[in-house]
Parts: sequence; structure tokens; C-alpha cells
Amino acid sequence: MAIDRPTFHESWYRVADMKPQLRSAVQTYRQQYRGDMYHVLRDPSNNQFFRLTESDYHFVGLLDGDRTVSEAWNETIDELGDEAVTQWEAIQLLGQLYVSNLLQADLPPDAQGMFERHRKRVRREVSSYMMNLLFVRIPLFDPNRVLDQWVRWVGWIYTPIGFLAWAALLVVGGLHLVGRGEELVTGADPQKLLATENLLMLYLAMAVIKTIHEFGHGFACKHFGRSSNTGGEVHTMGIMLLVFMPVPYVDASSSWAFRSKWHRALVGVGGLHVELAVAAVAAIVWNRTPDTSLVHALAYNMIFIASISALLFNGNPLLRFDAYYILSDILEIPNLAQRSKQFLYYLVKRYAYGVKRPRQPAHSAGEKPWLLVYAIASTMYRFVIMTGIMLFVANQFFGLGVILVVVALVTWLFVPMGKFLHFLFNHGELVRVRSRAITVTAGTLAAIVVLVGVIPCRDTTRAQGVVEPQRLAVVYMESDGFVDVDSAVQSGANVDPNSRPLLTARNRELETSLADLLAQQALASVRREAASEEDQAVVQIYNDQWHTLQDQIDRVREQIEQLRVRAPFAGRWVSPNVDQFEGAFLRRGTAIGMVTSTHGDVIRVVADQQLGPRFADEIGRDAKALRAMRVDVRVAGRPSAEFRGVIDDIAPNQTHLPSPALGRLAGGSIDIDPEDTQGIKTAEPFFEVRLVPDAEGRLPPLHAGQRVVARFHMRAKPLAVQWYRAVRQLVQRRFQI
Amino acid sequence: MLDRRAAPRTKIPSGIDAAWDAIVATLVSLAPRRTMCLRRAARVLELEKPMSELAEAELRRRVLTMRDTFRRGRESRAERVTAFALIREVARRQVDLFPHPVQVAAGIAMESGCVAELATGEGKTLAATLPVTLAGWRGRGCHVITVNDYLATRDADSMRPIYEFCGLTVSAIDSEMKPPDRRVAYQADITYCTNKDVAFDFLRDRLALGQLQGLPSALASKIVDGAGGGTDRLVMRGLAAAFVDEADSVLIDEAVTPLILSGEARNEEAAQAHLDAHRLAEPFEPQRDYRVNPRYHEVELTRSGRAKAEAICEELGGIWSGRRRSEELIVQALTARELFLLGKQYIVEDDKVVIVDEFTGRLMPDREWRDGIHQAVSAKEGLEIQPPKDTLARVTYQRFFRLYAKLAGMTGTAWEARRELWQTYRLPVAQIPTHRPCIREHQLDRHYVKSDDRWSAIVGSIREIHDQGRAILVGTRSVKASEHLSTLLDDAGFEHQVLNATRHKEEAQIIAEAGKTGRITVATNMAGRGTDIKLGRGLADCGGLHVISTERHESGRIDRQLFGRAGRQGDPGSAMAYASLDDELADRHGPKWLRPMLRGNGGRVRGRVGRLYFWLAQRHAERMARQQRKAQVKTDDWLEESLGFAGREA
Repeated sequence: MAIDRPTFHESWYRVADMKPQLRSAVQTYRQQYRGDMYHVLRDPSNNQFFRLTESDYHFVGLLDGDRTVSEAWNETIDELGDEAVTQWEAIQLLGQLYVSNLLQADLPPDAQGMFERHRKRVRREVSSYMMNLLFVRIPLFDPNRVLDQWVRWVGWIYTPIGFLAWAALLVVGGLHLVGRGEELVTGADPQKLLATENLLMLYLAMAVIKTIHEFGHGFACKHFGRSSNTGGEVHTMGIMLLVFMPVPYVDASSSWAFRSKWHRALVGVGGLHVELAVAAVAAIVWNRTPDTSLVHALAYNMIFIASISALLFNGNPLLRFDAYYILSDILEIPNLAQRSKQFLYYLVKRYAYGVKRPRQPAHSAGEKPWLLVYAIASTMYRFVIMTGIMLFVANQFFGLGVILVVVALVTWLFVPMGKFLHFLFNHGELVRVRSRAITVTAGTLAAIVVLVGVIPCRDTTRAQGVVEPQRLAVVYMESDGFVDVDSAVQSGANVDPNSRPLLTARNRELETSLADLLAQQALASVRREAASEEDQAVVQIYNDQWHTLQDQIDRVREQIEQLRVRAPFAGRWVSPNVDQFEGAFLRRGTAIGMVTSTHGDVIRVVADQQLGPRFADEIGRDAKALRAMRVDVRVAGRPSAEFRGVIDDIAPNQTHLPSPALGRLAGGSIDIDPEDTQGIKTAEPFFEVRLVPDAEGRLPPLHAGQRVVARFHMRAKPLAVQWYRAVRQLVQRRFQI
Repeated sequence: MLDRRAAPRTKIPSGIDAAWDAIVATLVSLAPRRTMCLRRAARVLELEKPMSELAEAELRRRVLTMRDTFRRGRESRAERVTAFALIREVARRQVDLFPHPVQVAAGIAMESGCVAELATGEGKTLAATLPVTLAGWRGRGCHVITVNDYLATRDADSMRPIYEFCGLTVSAIDSEMKPPDRRVAYQADITYCTNKDVAFDFLRDRLALGQLQGLPSALASKIVDGAGGGTDRLVMRGLAAAFVDEADSVLIDEAVTPLILSGEARNEEAAQAHLDAHRLAEPFEPQRDYRVNPRYHEVELTRSGRAKAEAICEELGGIWSGRRRSEELIVQALTARELFLLGKQYIVEDDKVVIVDEFTGRLMPDREWRDGIHQAVSAKEGLEIQPPKDTLARVTYQRFFRLYAKLAGMTGTAWEARRELWQTYRLPVAQIPTHRPCIREHQLDRHYVKSDDRWSAIVGSIREIHDQGRAILVGTRSVKASEHLSTLLDDAGFEHQVLNATRHKEEAQIIAEAGKTGRITVATNMAGRGTDIKLGRGLADCGGLHVISTERHESGRIDRQLFGRAGRQGDPGSAMAYASLDDELADRHGPKWLRPMLRGNGGRVRGRVGRLYFWLAQRHAERMARQQRKAQVKTDDWLEESLGFAGREA
């Protein structure tokens, strides 16, 4: 029958004549959620909660031990009509209440069933431990009495005055940090923060802070419980193994009974609240203690744990810590995480699988967007965080990392997948649409497989390089001399060997020696003239002398000529500081600038060990194929300037960077040999790829020494192949296997 | 109940356990049970000669000694082998039937708690006597469960000499029996009864026990109340051992709906509401206001139908003021109008609606449809409406049979259901080979687009085979179909027998005679079960019995049972199946995407595609039925767990 909620049910006879009633100890609280009234039943013996809708409660409330179930149900039907629970819903409700030990009936207790239920619950808890190995809880003691004793001394914190005091403390703490920000940040380098000697300290600080944090929740719960007269009992405190790291936790779930959602939210805030105060105190201590003391170091760690990390974890609603509960209280959506997941399933069932009437997990239209957004955001966030945690842990301890990955794969991939397949093939909800559901799922999977595994996609890799002109000549002084004032050509001018000199200088010593030599030569020629009539041998001597002098003169003249420095070839004159030379004495061999060719730059790209070998693997060593490869080049800092490059040559096994700008020291991406102070020798050999800018396209003006990013287009291949390679390379690089 | 030896497994596993269970189920079916049973049977056969040489008195003495051994529960494995050999010898002398090796193997399989799959006509009744006698000797009672009263009485009577020689008392339960007689019958060592009887007796006992749960409270009540109260009202003496004949049909096919013991209701105003609903539903038009879904046998209101219902009911008030309740009533009325047809699903007898079993054509006067349909149908026929009966007790067969300390079964077709039998009842299936090799010729199925083409093809085929002088058994899916074929055969001038009688005894006779030369018998698939078709004189020479299936059944096992009627015990025989796309199976369960590819020449469906189509349709139907059973067991388990405060159901 195509009826949503049939009124009658054939198993009704089993409960119809019973006269059950809620156990006398069960407490009931009324709460509003998004305008709807709910009734929360609380079992004080084990602090368990059970939420009933108005119509459910109408029925349950009528069960007083005198009426039979059937009478109560009939009364409900008469009063509520369509709203009333159906027989089957009533059976389910009674069953759930009974299983939660909230119901007592006029029958001898079903001891066997009770033990069976207990056994089952224990097993479920154990298996949920196993499924959630990363968040195991171990209860330790009951803090209720401690809290009761202390709350009257501490409770004022949660009053307006307390709030003002708290805010003032935060301001004072903040003021203490002003001016020491840099110190604070440099100390926060994760490398240093997680250094082994700091680790123990960090952990100690954290244990203290988190304990205070949990007491914050506990006191808040107590305080608001007392003030609103709804109990606020806190019976469990213990240790949670968060990714195998023990941190304290407290069970403040009795706050669920609070009527005001703000009180509930404040219990959630309680931990962060006190933690921030601790951070402020720590900031004051840190500022007031000498830099070398232990207290100083401890306070330093506390500032971070109590502020940044607390906000990151407890302040993040996507993780199921404090902020999650605060958010779900403020949104008035209890069980936000669970129901958002169900809502996602609901959408799939309803729209992808065409299930006629799937159970709608959203109680009102207003909840839907919240549920949807939360479901998507938390899934993605969880995935990212878990991957991060795993990589981090694996980085620190390899073996543990492998175990973690296996556990994570099982819990987050295989188990849900198995459950999903079981649902797809066996669940009763899909009976009528199973073929469609399977087709849609298979189709989606196939589409993903085709998209990821078959269709080739662009595969690009980036590497950094520097621009160098094709020709470059450093211009040196070839003779000593004083540079003439106003003789220097301005840097950046185009020059060629025949144009005016780049710079002129004078060397009086040379000029003097030239004059001297010229005089000697004149003397020699006079003497030669005089001797020409006497002895031919003497003439010969003077002749030789004259020639020797001529050579010397030529040399000095040349040196003088070299003082007029000329460009070695046509190009651009680069000497930004040339003005400084004017009037100065420059020795021979002093570099005064350089001339670079104005067209035909070359780009030297550094391809590391991840990228370098792929050229040979994927493109081959054939120069033609290499030239055909598409390379996009962008100029660093100017992302809009993009042009094509052509691979000219690949030189393997290089160890010295073309420019220190590419090294990590100077902000590049290549690791530098720590021994090398110049920042040129690389930590591991690399491949140098010489690119010639493609002249066809429009080139932005390139300047020598500019850093560029080259993007190499490898052979297109499916994404799966690319990912597989990336993961393998990642694993290899991280673990050297 | 009172003398349950060990608490039986009563819950179906879920979650990871279920996955593990499925793996185990597969493994269980891989065990070489067949070889094991045959090897043990060989050991029994070795004792054939010494047993046959025993004098009557000596045999009697040894049998009674053996009974005492078993009653003490101290028997060894060797003694069990001897016991089998003894009973075999007793059977030879007392009823002149000597169990074949395969029958002994089947007996051994059942003794070890399996379902023995023994081909049709191999003599399951005789095979069962071996383990049943053993169970009788153990003295805690033993139920042999058959599908109808006739078979219960017949089997009990035919095997009585064996049991009595073995020092056991036998009884058969008739559905007409009164409680005192039943109590006597259940006191016998061996009780032959139908599944319905035994389950209803169980429910009635439960009701009589009331809140007395478990042995201590029952005993206490006996002490306090003395005779005549509490346990003395009980009919049964416990669920110790059950041997289920046609196990697949009882344990699986009939387990789709729970057994409900109902009593007079207290709710009278509903009757008028159903009458009103019928009147109010009149203006509703198909397609516009509601849609009929033949696949799931239900009616659904459209948007306009809902609006209409709301508009009509607004003025009425009372029970009609709630939208949900009024829609529910109108949908019931429409369902009764569209999907329940006079003459097909029910007839009117003595101003009462009586359900007709679609497959057997039998009237089911004490059964009622659920969910208010029965009242809606009565309203439609303008009859006085009996208020819906109140459920007093309810049990699913799945739960009921799992309560037996020892459960075993036999059937001709169990292999297809082996996983479910294991998962639900922890019954492994042992396939026992046939005594003689089967030489039945199974011809290729023929599928037609139109039902009429199929019928004329069948008549043509009957003519052809009838001319060869062979006997023909035509199996139909429903009574209606058999009547239709009967008319066609009359028109064609063939003399034939139609089996839609409601008396099992006559049924059995007609079926038994279906093997005579030139005989044409038209019967529903389920008719005459448990009776062999023995070939008439000379028939074997001209090809034996030819079986025609006119329509595929929802379950492949039932088709196989029909085919199994030909070529029993190495006789010659042949079988052939017809089907058409108009059939309910094809219509409801056939995959829609395959439809366009089906059309072949001359009204025929293309061979291979057609076979694929019908195979898929049957698989779908089987799967749906399986899921329905599974859902029922799940609900059952949930109720059991959660309604602990309401006392245990079973």
C-alpha cells in the first residue's frame, strides 16, 4: 500500500494491553528547537538523554501505569488527529524507550533481554572505539563533588562582572605582547617549537591547559545547571587519546537539558573562555620573566597552546569539539553532524536514486541549507585534516604512519564503502529503485573512472629559472687611470664599439711617459742622423733604439687609448653605479659594468630530481621532440607576462645554480648545500634546462637576472596516472624508499 | 517451550556478522556433503546381508533394544549405522519397500540436520522414516511436516507398520481436529502434521500459557493452580525435532507472510468508515487522481487525487478529519476496486468475501487480507463488513522453525535456496544423486509476444505429442489459466482432466493416473504435490510423460518441480516451457530496457534474448521475495529485542 504512515500495525497486539509508564526517576525538560517544542527525557542514573517530539510526548505522557497503551493511543488520536503517532511509531517509540531503560512495565523484568542489551551496548562501544582509534575515550573519575564544592567560589566568572574582568585580563595580556611581536613569531617556527627538547615542555603545558579547559566546561555546566535548576551534573572526567596523545576530557552532556540555548552554548564556550584567560596570564608572565628562565619558556608555550591551537581545534565547528556543540546549540540543530550526513544521503536517495519517500532528516526548511553546507564542509575538512595528520605523523615516525594510513583506509574508505555497497544491494529502502540506484552509482563511478583514469589531461610541472642574455661581457678597466668627469655613458644606453666611449679616463703617468718616450725617440733620431755619416754600425744601434722606443710608444699610446673604454659589441650598457667612478682612480682590472646583447635572451631553468628525469622518460632525448614541447614562461612577480619558450638543451648533473636567486636562501625553491655560504651549490644535483624565448610571440621586456617560472607541458595523460606518480614521488621523497 | 534442550539461535545476524554469515553460507554449501552421505550410506548397506538373515523375533528384539539405547541418548556412531540398517530391513519386511542407497543417504543427511535434495519421485516419504524413527526413539516427540492434511494422513498410514514394528506410536493431525484429539496426537512419538497446523497449535499454546514464560514459572503455576490450569491447557509437548517435507516451499515460499492468530475485534466504527470510503472513492478516476502500480500491487494518489480527497473529506469530520487517515481509507477502497477482482482473487460465498488461492484455486475461508483490504473489498461488494480481527498472536515461520531443537528437511528443489536456508535456519543442503540416471529431455523454452499465440502453440504441441500416444501433464500458474486451457482443449476436441478440485485426495488420484497412455492432464503447478506419476504400461516405450509448463513461475524452483514430474526414477520423459510477454512475471519483473530487443518473427520472441529476459525476470522476482522475507525477519528481531517489556513472543 502506498501509504506513508499506515495508522494500524499488526504487531499492535503485543503492546496494546500493556500498562507501561516512564520510570519515576526519569526527568523531563522542555526545549524549543527552531520554534518546535521538544521534550528531553533524562535518566539521572546514567545521564542519558532521549529527545521526543511534541506528538511523541503527548502519547508517552499519557502512559501513567493505569491506562493501557491502547487507551493512551486512542486518546492521542482523538486529540491530535493526523499529528498523532501511528501504531507502528508508537511501538518503535516504546521499544526505544525500553531499550534506553526509561520505561517500566507491569511485567517481571526481562532479565535475559537486559543482559543481552547490555552486552550489545558494550560491544557497540568497543567496536566504536576500534572504528575511531584516533579518538578513544577512557573515563577516569567523577568530578561532580569537586565541582559542587568549588562552583560557589568560581561561579561569579560567568556573571557580567566576571565577563568584564575576563575581558580586562585579555586586554592586559594583549598589551604585554605589543612590541614583542617579532620575537613571538620567530620563536613560533614549527621546527623550533617541535624540537625534541621543547616537546616535553609543550606537552606538559598542554596537559595543564587542557585540564583547566575541561574544568572550565565543568564549572560552566555546574553554574548554569544550578542557576536554571536543571541539575548540571558532571560525572565523568577522563582521558581521550587524540591521535594517540592523551588529553583530558569531561562529559558535560547534562547541559543538554538546559532550557536556554545560550546556556548550552556557554557551557561549550566554557573551555575556550578559561583557556584564553590562561593565555593572557601566560603572556604577562612571559613578558615579565628573563629570557633564559624555564618559566619564560613554559609561558611562551602556553601562550600558543591556549590561544592559537585552542582556537584551531576547539574553535573549529568542523571538528567535533567545543565549537561544534556551540554551533549546533546556536543553530538549534541537535546532532548537526549526524543529521547533515543523513541529509546528504537523503538528497542522493531522493534525487539520484529516485526513492519515493525517503525519511527527511531535516525537521524544517530552515535547517536544510545548514545541513547541506555543514555536510560538505566537514567532509572535506575532515579529509584534509586527516591527510595532514597522517603525513605529519608518518613524517615523524614512519612505522606508526603506515599503521595510521592502513587504519584510516579501513575506517574511512573500506568500511564506508562496504556499508554503502551493502546498502546499495540489500537495503529495503531501495527495493523499488535498486536497478536505477545501481545504474546511477555505476554510471557516476564510470564517469569518474573515465574522467580520472582514461581521458588524458594536461600534465604540467613548474620549475624556476633565471633570465640571462645570450651574450654578456663584463667591461673592465684595462689601464689604470682617473675617470674623467662627465665622461661616463649612462647605464641602460645602447652602445656599440664605434660610438662614444663608455667612459674616459686620464693617466698622467702614462702621458708623461709617452712624452718622455717621444723625447727619447726624438733624441735617438737626431743621434742616428748625426751618426749616419760616420759609422754604419752606430747608425744601426740608434736605429734599433729608435724602434724599441717606437714599440714602447705604441704600447703606451695603446694604454692611453684603452682609457677610452669602448663597448666590446653592440648592446646595452649596464652599470647602474657608473657615476660613482667619475674622478676616481681605477686600477686595471676593475670591473666597471657590463654590456649585454639586446636581443636573444636565454632562460636557465633548474629542474630538480623530481622533474629532470621525466624529460628523458616522457619526451625522449630527441632534440626535435624536446623542441616541440610546450613551455609557458611567466616572469616572477608579473603573472600576466607570459610567453612561450623552446627547450634548447638539457644538461644533467649540475651542481651550481645559475643564480643564487633560485636557491632557498634567496627565496627560491631549490635546497642549497648547507655548507655553501654563497647559496649556489645545490644540496642534490639538478638538471639544467636552457630555454630560448619563442620569438614569434610577443615578449615582455626581459632583463638579465630576472626570476621566471617555466611550466612544462608533459605528454597529456589521465589524472589517475598523474596522481599515482605524484603519490609515489611524495612517498619516495618523504621516506627515501 | 518447556523441554527445549538448548536455547536455539533465534536471531538473524546483522552488520559485519551478516557479511561473515554470508561468507560462511557460501562455504557451507561447498562442503562435500553428498560424498559424505553416500559414504555413510555405503556403511549401512554393508549390513544388508546380516540383517536380512535375522529372524522376525530377533529383529524385533534388536529394534527394541536400539530404541532404549536412543531413549537414553547414549547412542554411538556405529549404533546409528546399525539402527539405519535395522530400520531399512524393517521397511523391507513391513511395507515391502527397500530403501535405495540414495534414500539411505538422504536419511543420513536429514539425521545430521541437513535439507536433503532428492529428485522428485525418489521416495522421500520412505527416506524420511529412517531419521524420523531415530527421533521417535529419542522420545521427545517428532513432527513430520507436510504441505497438506491428505499427505499427512497418507504418509502416516503408509509408514505406520514400520514405526509400530519399531515400538513407536504414530499419529496424523487433521485440520478439523479438536484440541483434546490434538493433544493425544501430539503425545504420539511421531506426529505427521501440516506446517499451518503445527504453527497455529503453537500460537494457541502460547496464548494459553499467557505470561508464564520459561520452565520455572510454568512449573510454579502448576503447583499453585493444580490440574486444569496453566500448562494443562497446552496441546503440544514441545518442539524437539521437525522433518519438513517440501522444505523449500514450507520454509521459504510460505514464509513470506507471518502466521496470525486472530480473534474478535472491539473496534466497530471502522466498518462504517470503509463503506463511506467506497462511496467517496467513486469519483476518483485512474491516471488523473490515482495511479495503479501493477509491479508492486498498489495504488497511489496523485496530487489531484490528494486535493480531491481533502476537498471531499473536509465536510465530513470524525474519522475523516485527519488527512492521513482519510487518504489511507480512500487508497484502500481504490486498491480493492482496482487490484482485487471478483472471481480471481476472491469469491462471495454466504455473503462473505472468501479468498481464492491464486496458485491452487483453493478457497481460504479462514484467511483475511491485511491492512483493511478485506473490509474495503467487502464494502465494494456491498456486504456486511466484519470488523478487522484483532491479532492475538503472531509468529513468522522463520522464527517458529528456528525454535526446533532439531530441524531437517527434504525436497526436490533446495539447491537454489541453499544460502537462505543456511542463513535463516542454519540448514545446509545436501544434494543426493538420483537412484538411476535421469534421461529426461528438456527442450528449449518457447516465448511468445502474445498470450494467445502461446496458447495456440501449446494446443498444437499437445496435438503432436498426443498423437504419439504419450501422456501429457500441463502445468499452469493459476486456476484461471488452467480453465482457459481446458476450454481451448475442449474446442480442439481433446479429452482431458482438469485439476482444480479442492480435495487433495481426488487431486492425488488424478495426478497418479496422469501417467496413463494418451492421458492429458491440466493442473496448476502446485496441485497434487507429494504424489508420484507412475507410467502406464507400454508408455515408457513411446517416450514416457511429457510435461508442458505454460507460464514461468515467480520462483525457478517451482518450475523445476514441475519438470521433475517427467522422467522420474530413470523413466523416459521430456519437458518444455512456454511463456509470453503478457505474463504477470514478465510484466511485473522483466527488465524494461530489454523489451525493445525482444520482438522476433511470427509472434515469437527472439530466442536467446527471450531466455535472458525471462531469466532476469525470474531472478528479480526471487530477489524481491527474498528481500521481503528478510525485511520481515529483521522487523521480527527488532520487535523481539525492543518489546522485552511486552513479554517474549516465542
